[in-house]
Amino acid sequence: MGHPQIEKLDPKTHTMTLSLDIGLYPADVLYAAAYVFLDRAYVLLDRAGPRYEVHLRGKGELTEAQLTAMSGEFENELLAQALRRKVVKANQKIIEDITSQAIAGAAGGTLPTDFLAAGDDGMDFLDDPLGIAVPWEDKFKKKKDA
Amino acid sequence: MSHVTHQSVKLHRTLYMQQAVKDAATTFADFAAFTIKRDGDYYAVDIKDIDPDVDGDVVAEFCNFALANTAGRKKTKKA
Repeated sequence: MGHPQIEKLDPKTHTMTLSLDIGLYPADVLYAAAYVFLDRAYVLLDRAGPRYEVHLRGKGELTEAQLTAMSGEFENELLAQALRRKVVKANQKIIEDITSQAIAGAAGGTLPTDFLAAGDDGMDFLDDPLGIAVPWEDKFKKKKDA
Repeated sequence: MSHVTHQSVKLHRTLYMQQAVKDAATTFADFAAFTIKRDGDYYAVDIKDIDPDVDGDVVAEFCNFALANTAGRKKTKKA
């Protein structure tokens, strides 16, 4: 049987065992899905011939319905992680290009030392050859006597 | 109720990295004594002197840590 299946489900001990086909789920997908469940369940991975076995035990009390729901969530997480892996693989080149552009942009920005390297033009910071600092009123005021 | 002070757990060698298991044992060294041995396809972890005052399942938490460490190490190795 290809898809994940519940091998064992025991509401008394809040435990459940899922069996997965090794050929369908790469190990990284299994790790990623298991990792998501570490905060609410005790997870133990095992192998039985051509199948992975995932032993889950709830950290709190779980009913049969909750255990079955958890099993479904685990299967969903496996699919989500498998898709995520596929998307990352397909877009690997784009991700690398964008990252290297971002790093190059950050490294190639203008630094304060660049202004020093431009050299001294012999001007003081108070010099105003273009008259930019002259107030508008002074520049364009009407002559009272005119 | 009697407290269990000795347990053993088997971790499949293709799914758990030795260093990850060792690191998990180091993390929990204050709460129990860990002995890790190879046993065929498995790492057989013998856990003794489990601290009775610990609020929680030391062995199960140890397994979670071993798994998390393995997942982390595999990811880093790949990157």
